[in-house]
Amino acid sequence: MRRVLNITNILFVAIIGLELLLPAKRSSEIIYTQELIGIIIGIELLYSLNMIYKKDEKKRQSLGDITALVYGCILIWELLTTKLDILHNLLFPMPGEVVAVFLSEIPTLLDGLSSSLYLLTIGYTLALVTAIPLALIIGWRKRLFLAVNPLTKVLGPIPPIVYIPYAIAILPTFKSASIFIIFIGAFWPIFINTLNGTFNIDKRIIDSAKVLNVKEHTMLFKIILPGVLPSIISGTTVGLVLSFILLTSAEMIGASSGLGWYVKYFSDFADYPRVVVGIIFIGMVVTGITYCFDKIESQLLKWKN
Amino acid sequence: MYKIDLENISFGYEEENLIIPVIKDVHLSIKEGEFVSIIGPSGCGKSTLLSLLAGLNFPSYGKILLDNKEVTGTGNERGVVFQHYSLFPWMSARKNIIFGLQQLDKNRNQKDIEKIADEYLDLVGLKEVSHKYPSQLSGGMQQRVAIARAFAMDSDILLMDEPFSAVDAKNRMALQELLLDLWNNGKKKKTVVFVTHDVDEAVLLSDRIIVMSANSKSIKEEINVDFSRPRNRSILSKNNTYTELRHMLVQLLFDDLINGTESEVWEAS
Repeated sequence: MRRVLNITNILFVAIIGLELLLPAKRSSEIIYTQELIGIIIGIELLYSLNMIYKKDEKKRQSLGDITALVYGCILIWELLTTKLDILHNLLFPMPGEVVAVFLSEIPTLLDGLSSSLYLLTIGYTLALVTAIPLALIIGWRKRLFLAVNPLTKVLGPIPPIVYIPYAIAILPTFKSASIFIIFIGAFWPIFINTLNGTFNIDKRIIDSAKVLNVKEHTMLFKIILPGVLPSIISGTTVGLVLSFILLTSAEMIGASSGLGWYVKYFSDFADYPRVVVGIIFIGMVVTGITYCFDKIESQLLKWKN
Repeated sequence: MYKIDLENISFGYEEENLIIPVIKDVHLSIKEGEFVSIIGPSGCGKSTLLSLLAGLNFPSYGKILLDNKEVTGTGNERGVVFQHYSLFPWMSARKNIIFGLQQLDKNRNQKDIEKIADEYLDLVGLKEVSHKYPSQLSGGMQQRVAIARAFAMDSDILLMDEPFSAVDAKNRMALQELLLDLWNNGKKKKTVVFVTHDVDEAVLLSDRIIVMSANSKSIKEEINVDFSRPRNRSILSKNNTYTELRHMLVQLLFDDLINGTESEVWEAS
């Protein structure tokens, strides 16, 4: 019985009850009851399915807590908008309305996503293929390192966002400017982490490789590269988040497509349901990308305990 | 002709225009197929001496000859086993051995290499765990893999820097036996230089023990160990000569500790 009568399920019933019993106060043609109940039932189904398959008690508990938090937020949101009409009715759309708009906007959002991912992929890949080999070579040569390291200390911390207007001015298209900005944003974290990782690599590992008589390129790419992979990955993670922030900022300034543009465009029209939808969608995209990244990371570093 | 000749070796590292001496005036000749242990308290330069032999560092004065040729760097005729990180943590046990073999000859047939790797993994009793990463193996198992790699690569000379120091007593004994087995049963006996601070280990394994001093940073005593091989540790421990030898070595190490002198520096040239 305790399995069913937990805080999560109580909140679930509370929202459904609220929807069906408490009349809406906000004056609106549609109050989106169905949509809200729909999404709540969707979440509950997802949650219950997970509870059936997950065996680990700790994971079950935190899953329940997370779901309860989500329910709590939706409940408060619904109360403050639809039910009690405390928040401004233009600036704060109703949760059900957001669900409805989200569903109808999926094709547009996916277009924006593909436009954003296209720029992100090019800029980020460019940063990966330049920063990593460059940092390996410079970090491996002490003299180069001592020359380059102070420069990175000056250039690295410049917030790449300050380059945006200049990049847009000097580069021929908005696309090339965005790619450049994403590149800069991802380059420094990857470069600096790889550089320091290479310079500070455990000497005992290098000695072990030296006594096997490895050639220079084997040393760089078979020993140092995997050896500094943990540092590289922390750099690539920071770089990815930063380049996503930069991408959306750039899109808000000068683009005619993409996720940042979507949010900016509809705020200009005061179409706040779409703004909220755009924000939620960006959150989902970032979560998805980070999730994939974590998977790749644990695959690459499975030799580490 | 000796296999290894250390002619008047000194080594120091530079620090703010002064050279801090680590090794001074070491003369040592080692015959082919000889098992030599170097013992001494910490700070006597025994590990540094091994790194000079490995070609990872170069003597400040004097020279090292292998087969009458001066050492100018690392080389395939020398295999090295360290106390830690002999293995690359991102490669499985088997891949570590394969990687070592690949460095000997890039054009060697991959199938042959894998065959040798599996053979030696079997020899050290790790066939079952060959796919595991070093972090998934115990310290003793890791050293087994490192030894397997060194023997699979079949170099003339084996340099070992306190290879069993980080392993618990029971596994250490097993590793000592394994090392002696592999050394005895090879086609051609390898010349071994084995650094340790464990007196019993040195006596059990060696033909000759070199005692180094932390005060003089040089060789204090050379002692031949004449017990017949194969040696049995429980029989040895009842032998009077063994007890005397052991006692003498402990005394030598202890003397070095209580007769400590101020360390000196050289002017950098």
